[in-house]
Amino acid sequence: MSNAPDDRPNDGPDDRPDDRLLRLNAALDGELDAANLISFERDLRSDPALAARYRELEALRAAVRRHAVPERAPAALVDRVMALASPTVAVLPARSPRRPYFAPPALALAASLGVLGFVAGSGLTILRTPHASDGVAAGLVSDFARAEIAGQPFDVASSDRHTVKPWLAQRTTVSADVVDLAPQGFPLAGGRVAVVGKIPAPTLVYRHNEHMVAVTELPLDALGAETGAQIETHDGYHVARWADQNLAYVAVSDMDEKTLAEFVATFRQATKPAGEGPAK
Amino acid sequence: MTSALAAERFRAVVPPLLDDAYTLAKWLCRNSADAEDIVQEAAIRALKALETTAVERPKPWFLSIVRNAALTWMARNRRKDMSFVGDMTDLDGLETFDGEAAPDAEALLIAHEDSERLRGAIAQLPPALLETVVMRDVNGLAYRDIAEATGAPIGTVMSRLARGRAALTKILKAEP
Repeated sequence: MSNAPDDRPNDGPDDRPDDRLLRLNAALDGELDAANLISFERDLRSDPALAARYRELEALRAAVRRHAVPERAPAALVDRVMALASPTVAVLPARSPRRPYFAPPALALAASLGVLGFVAGSGLTILRTPHASDGVAAGLVSDFARAEIAGQPFDVASSDRHTVKPWLAQRTTVSADVVDLAPQGFPLAGGRVAVVGKIPAPTLVYRHNEHMVAVTELPLDALGAETGAQIETHDGYHVARWADQNLAYVAVSDMDEKTLAEFVATFRQATKPAGEGPAK
Repeated sequence: MTSALAAERFRAVVPPLLDDAYTLAKWLCRNSADAEDIVQEAAIRALKALETTAVERPKPWFLSIVRNAALTWMARNRRKDMSFVGDMTDLDGLETFDGEAAPDAEALLIAHEDSERLRGAIAQLPPALLETVVMRDVNGLAYRDIAEATGAPIGTVMSRLARGRAALTKILKAEP
């Protein structure tokens, strides 16, 4: 629409009705340059049908502007968004409240713990050979056990995902899926940050009766990210891993295997992107 | 993980755009609770992006993030009817001056109390047309900003806008 009329061949695009409509809209929106505007106004004077169409478009736009006015963002939303970058939080260093379990010596130790850990669960489906991702699982199990013993299973205690999500977002690089599964019997209890391969990873803590499950969300290419939903046992805790199109998940729990499998299915259903087949 | 620099950029750029963001999100997902989630997710994405990027033109930039967060929301909620994928890029089907009822501006003089009718008509538009019309006439973006926010060429934006308005006109005339 920026070409001067003289640049166009005689059968140029503006001679076609489609382009005349585009030009009509562009004129209405103030998007025509001076040269095009002059020729458009000339056409408008000489073509009553075009002029009528233009008036119609003007009336439509007036109606849209009158009846579809911009809405104010709700105050609660504004508060939550502002809290993401509040000056008091922003100057704090990234918080990693857990000990660095995954520093190389600790990693080796954690991996061997994972391998040596006795098998307490019944119906164990698979026991992996030791490799890096077992170290990740073992570390997360240590996190879980330590948090449970310390009686502090999360760093932010809230059943409101609108509170948990921004808290995690400030401290991790993964944009966490935060779903509340209270209607399905697994209310959200809070969140904490796990450190996996030196990277802070969001962890959601859910309750089920007196039991807990902690779901750590990892980038797909992270250490320990694996597909499949086998349930393993580490040090007497059950560990489930799975992945969707966006993230990998490791869930650690003191629930029995059957209940954990139920939780995993519920969680996957709630976070499943469209287009993915049934849970594997 | 938020640096002071990103937080400062965020506070300068994002707050003035929240009304526009919420309005766009609500038109796209059609309910206010989900629109809040979408805007919050967009704000989180924006904050992360501001770690590495300074933004020249905040409005199309942030509305683009809102739009993409809405796309994620739609995929997750299986709103396949709202898929943005489709051949919206061509001019086929664009109405012409030929073979159509005579324009009648009077038919579009919608009474002040009848905004439901107009909003209902907009909601009937296919998503690619809807977002273009909303960005233009509700959010007030220029063509090149809509092109930036939607990732579509300007010609496609113009085509969608013309088709969207033509469809609105048709709907409103059909349901007086």
